[in-house]
Amino acid sequence: MQSLRRRFGTAFLEMPFVVKIALVWLVFIVAAAIYSRLDRLFGQALPLQDPFYQPFLFGEARPVEGPSSAHLLGTDVLSRDNLARLLHGGWVSLIVAATVVSFGLVFGGFIGAFVGYTRGKIETVTMASLDVILAFPPLVLLLALVAVYKVRSLTMIALVFGVLGIPTYVRIARASTLSVAGREFVQAAEAIGTKRTTILFREIIPNIMPALFAYALINAGYVIVAEGTLSYLGLSVQIPEPTWGNMINEGRRDIRQTILPIFWPGLFLTASVVSLNLVGDWLQQRVAIRSSAL
Amino acid sequence: MFGKVFAVKTIRLVATLFAVSLLTFLLVEQLPGDPILAILPPGGLDDLETIERIRKELRLDDPVLTRYFRWVGNALQGDLGKSYITDQPVADAIKDRIPVTMELALLATIIAAVLAIPIGALSAYREGGYFDRAMSTFTTAALSIPGFLAGIFFIWLFTLKFNWLPSTGWNRITEKGILANLQTAILPAGALALAPLAINARLIRADMIGTLKEDYVLSAKAKGLRDRYILMRHALRPSSLTAITVFALQLGGLIGGTVVIETVFALPGLGTRLISGIYQRDVMMIQGITLFIATVYVVVNALVDLLYAALDPRIRRQ
Repeated sequence: MQSLRRRFGTAFLEMPFVVKIALVWLVFIVAAAIYSRLDRLFGQALPLQDPFYQPFLFGEARPVEGPSSAHLLGTDVLSRDNLARLLHGGWVSLIVAATVVSFGLVFGGFIGAFVGYTRGKIETVTMASLDVILAFPPLVLLLALVAVYKVRSLTMIALVFGVLGIPTYVRIARASTLSVAGREFVQAAEAIGTKRTTILFREIIPNIMPALFAYALINAGYVIVAEGTLSYLGLSVQIPEPTWGNMINEGRRDIRQTILPIFWPGLFLTASVVSLNLVGDWLQQRVAIRSSAL
Repeated sequence: MFGKVFAVKTIRLVATLFAVSLLTFLLVEQLPGDPILAILPPGGLDDLETIERIRKELRLDDPVLTRYFRWVGNALQGDLGKSYITDQPVADAIKDRIPVTMELALLATIIAAVLAIPIGALSAYREGGYFDRAMSTFTTAALSIPGFLAGIFFIWLFTLKFNWLPSTGWNRITEKGILANLQTAILPAGALALAPLAINARLIRADMIGTLKEDYVLSAKAKGLRDRYILMRHALRPSSLTAITVFALQLGGLIGGTVVIETVFALPGLGTRLISGIYQRDVMMIQGITLFIATVYVVVNALVDLLYAALDPRIRRQ
């Protein structure tokens, strides 16, 4: 535990400045998204505006207000609080991205490592069937899939994204397994008669995880963009539930007057993706250095 | 030798297309209940006569596989069925709308390639310099901004602020000439080009940094050739293989991108038709367009694969 903390500490210190900022932004978004949902979990009101409350109905605020002390980032076209909606919207992105990443790491990582290490017919069949899914342009397959569902809940969207994300993880896990499986430490383990399952879990999987994890961060950025795109098209989680994508869509109506209702969700969306890419790139470089030293 | 590679790849292509079409067909079959529920327009469920008629027309009482093979058989003859909402044959809708989508994708590819070469080459030439660092910031941003957001931003900037270009709509080349057409095409194509542009520039840069360290570049310098000549003639050429692979990789993103960008700019392309089909729950249209797009994607990928094998002797030998 101590060594882990020390390792993470030095890793943070070695980060370039922009990557540090990116990491801080990601921590902020995740914390804020969780915070925005705490009231639903504990049934207690939080010092954050209600994202569905339309104060102009009660003469308290106007639609598309600029920033003020009551509404730190102003109000949207229905006079709802922008900040509250942005933080709530972060939850949708967070859940979808987290589902894809955990499905990918757990299922994709395991399947890839398994077929990559055992080879044979199972590998051929698995990879061929995954190639069919990868043969579609990703967004088109997503569209066709969500199109047939009438109810688009967060659970359903997260599951569709999660399942469709697995094939790429399998590919990457298999590719890294193939390169790890020939290494001396695996041969050594085989030579002393270690069980193949043990080798898979003790030698192979721990060594392919860093590469998979670096990909996961970049993939999370891609997923957030894809979910934002579906939301923008009105094909993800339905309004009035705020998502960054559907906030941008709602803001388009008033683009002739002001760009602010688009600017804020656009900024949150882009900043999150930039951050994930920066941290992911940085991690990928470190992984490359580490694996070349292995 | 090359003939064998060709044969293997062709067999794989056919197998993939078969699987892709089956999956597209089953997307609708996965729906619980009677497929007629999916095919009928919303609100059409009370009309028992129509239900009976469509059931007969599509022979919905046949087993799934029989219907699949009929659908694919018809598709091979250019008949993808017809929309039960607009009565328009799906193949006609595709024929009508494909020019817009093709032009957008092509224009975006050209913009990305034309701009990426000088950006990548100059970044590599002065690695770590001001230009290189500025471009690295630019490519990171371009890679992270969602296409639809870039599109909206372009509309806001060039239409609402500067009033230079129309924000939506499409002028067909055949009707209004190429200039009027480009006026409506340049903003969506530009928004579409951002991501591939960034990827291309990064790859060309990385490639050229490696190439510039080669001995033959040094000897060209020693001969007294000008830097610009070395950069364009000696260093850029080996990157052509990378460029081809990248083109294939980008195609998927480009096709997905046009779907969204067309919607943002309200262009009469294949993507808008797909999206409106989804809004109307027009299953035949969704199936047909998805199959068409996936087929184009798979075939182009296979062609690129083949081209790559033809160009690079190392791959041919494998």
